Amino acid sequence: MKATVAANSTRNVEAQAEGIRPTLVQHIPFAVWLIVPAEIVLLSVVVFPTLMSLWLSLTSWTPTSGVNWWQAEFQWLANYVQLLFGDERFRAALLRTLLIVVVGVAAEISIGLSLALLFFDDFPWKKIAISAIILPMMIVPVDAANAFFMLFRDVGPVNQLVRILVGHPVRFAWLSDSNLAIVPILLVEIWQWTPLMFLMLLTGLMALPQNQLRAAVALGASRWQLFRRIILPLIAPVVVLSLVIRSVEIFKIFDPVYILTRGGPGTSTETLSMWMYDNGFVYFRIAYVAAAGFLVLLVVLAYVLLILRPLSRRTAAER
Amino acid sequence: MYQSSTLLRMLKWLAVIAAMCFALFPIFWMVSTSFKPIQEWSTYPPVWIPRQPTLENYLALLNPAALAGSHSIDYKVAETAWRPLLNSLIISTSATFFSVCFGTLAAYGVSRYKSGGESYPMFVLTVRMFPPIAVAVPMLVMYSFLHLTGTYVGLVLAYTAFTLPLSIWMIRSFIDEIPREIEEAAVVYGLSSIRAFWRVTFPLIRGALVATALFIYILNWSEFLFALSLTNGALTTVTVQVSNYFSASSGQLYGPQAALGTLSTIPVIFFGYLIQRHLVRGLTFGAIKR
Repeated sequence: MKATVAANSTRNVEAQAEGIRPTLVQHIPFAVWLIVPAEIVLLSVVVFPTLMSLWLSLTSWTPTSGVNWWQAEFQWLANYVQLLFGDERFRAALLRTLLIVVVGVAAEISIGLSLALLFFDDFPWKKIAISAIILPMMIVPVDAANAFFMLFRDVGPVNQLVRILVGHPVRFAWLSDSNLAIVPILLVEIWQWTPLMFLMLLTGLMALPQNQLRAAVALGASRWQLFRRIILPLIAPVVVLSLVIRSVEIFKIFDPVYILTRGGPGTSTETLSMWMYDNGFVYFRIAYVAAAGFLVLLVVLAYVLLILRPLSRRTAAER
Repeated sequence: MYQSSTLLRMLKWLAVIAAMCFALFPIFWMVSTSFKPIQEWSTYPPVWIPRQPTLENYLALLNPAALAGSHSIDYKVAETAWRPLLNSLIISTSATFFSVCFGTLAAYGVSRYKSGGESYPMFVLTVRMFPPIAVAVPMLVMYSFLHLTGTYVGLVLAYTAFTLPLSIWMIRSFIDEIPREIEEAAVVYGLSSIRAFWRVTFPLIRGALVATALFIYILNWSEFLFALSLTNGALTTVTVQVSNYFSASSGQLYGPQAALGTLSTIPVIFFGYLIQRHLVRGLTFGAIKR
């Protein structure tokens, strides 16, 4: 009895030990089964509409054209050409979004880094201060946008503070002036996500090898030298990562724009997502928006590669 | 490391306090406005702390009947906020549940068996780069074809799909930290690989799974774009509902908006602080670990 049990379990064990390090041929089914439920959801909800988008971007379909979408008239790259060369508004939205991304990320990283450096050493109520500073991250973005709407109204506290600072009654029409409307939007974005930069950079700073820092201080490095020569190069990977991640997210900015200005007075704060919303859900130019989506994907990819290429070359050279 | 002069230390504390004020001010404003009666909403100079604090705004949201016959200006809120709150709760919870379940399975596959190929993680990251609004448009076409617009199923499906990549990514980073040898040891003891995972690895990552679930819950609860695009008037979530407080006579109803904002943000703040340690890992797709 015991012998057979032992023999069986040895066979079982051998057969199953292979399960951990499978040969591809033997265990493809099992590995595939594991991702099947996730894939079904992703395929139906994400991949299929995206492929549909790809198809549509090569046609000129609108819901009002009378045919089903799969029977739409083929147009090759006409949409893309139109977007790149013929559509002023799209180009403006693209440039505006790029501006928001660059300014936003630059502000977030510089403020985040400065704050992280402040928190490098210990001081009393450090934990409470950190909790307060990361609170903006945990506000529902729509509610944050609404709060900023209330702050930046003509009769809001921002104008009141400006008047106190400047002296005489100056009232900025933050949300109805086409030149200024972008400021509240930028500020919501920066306000809400600088704490994330702060946390990421603080994590990076905490992971720095203390010995190098102490050695440098012992050898007489000034604060500035310590920062520029040792700390900065060591946290460069974290900074680059934060830059990429945050940039990709800001490209998609929608909630603050919709709530604060709905695209601005006229189209002065129209970002890419807002443009796509108007064209897709208000004008129903669905094929056009589909093409725009892929163009934006290309732009974001190009942007990310543009950032990563020189920076990774530099770190490789340093090594 | 450096001995700071007192002046420098004072400046540093000042900077920290300034940062804290900056971070807290808009939130303070929202909470303060939620307690203001209607006559204090649009005064100039603006009222910072309500002189006649009131619960009217909250009552308007939750129990309008209690307002009937009150002395303040009669503003009728179109419907109570119970429905949107309930909808948000149902949708967020279901979507989070599915996302974490499917995500764990897929993460296990990707981590231990490299399911989906070597470049699956890169594929996942690229999915995040595509503007969601561009997907929402054909999704709406697809949904209206399938009669899924404005249904619970439709939104839960959309939310699950869009948080799955993040879920898989995060959970995979947690599973990666558990050495395979533990599972192999379990297999040597006679368990099948699935049971090895369930009895050995799973308990070790339970806390991490909870953190991931809370993180995804926060994302689902705060989601706006799909809730706006894929629903009609019948089914609203909390995020969309906030924009509905607009009356012809009083303009935007700042009080109830602020009140709903405060109410809807409370769970997010609560969960956010619970998973504070894991927030960085979550928002950087597992790249930065504490």
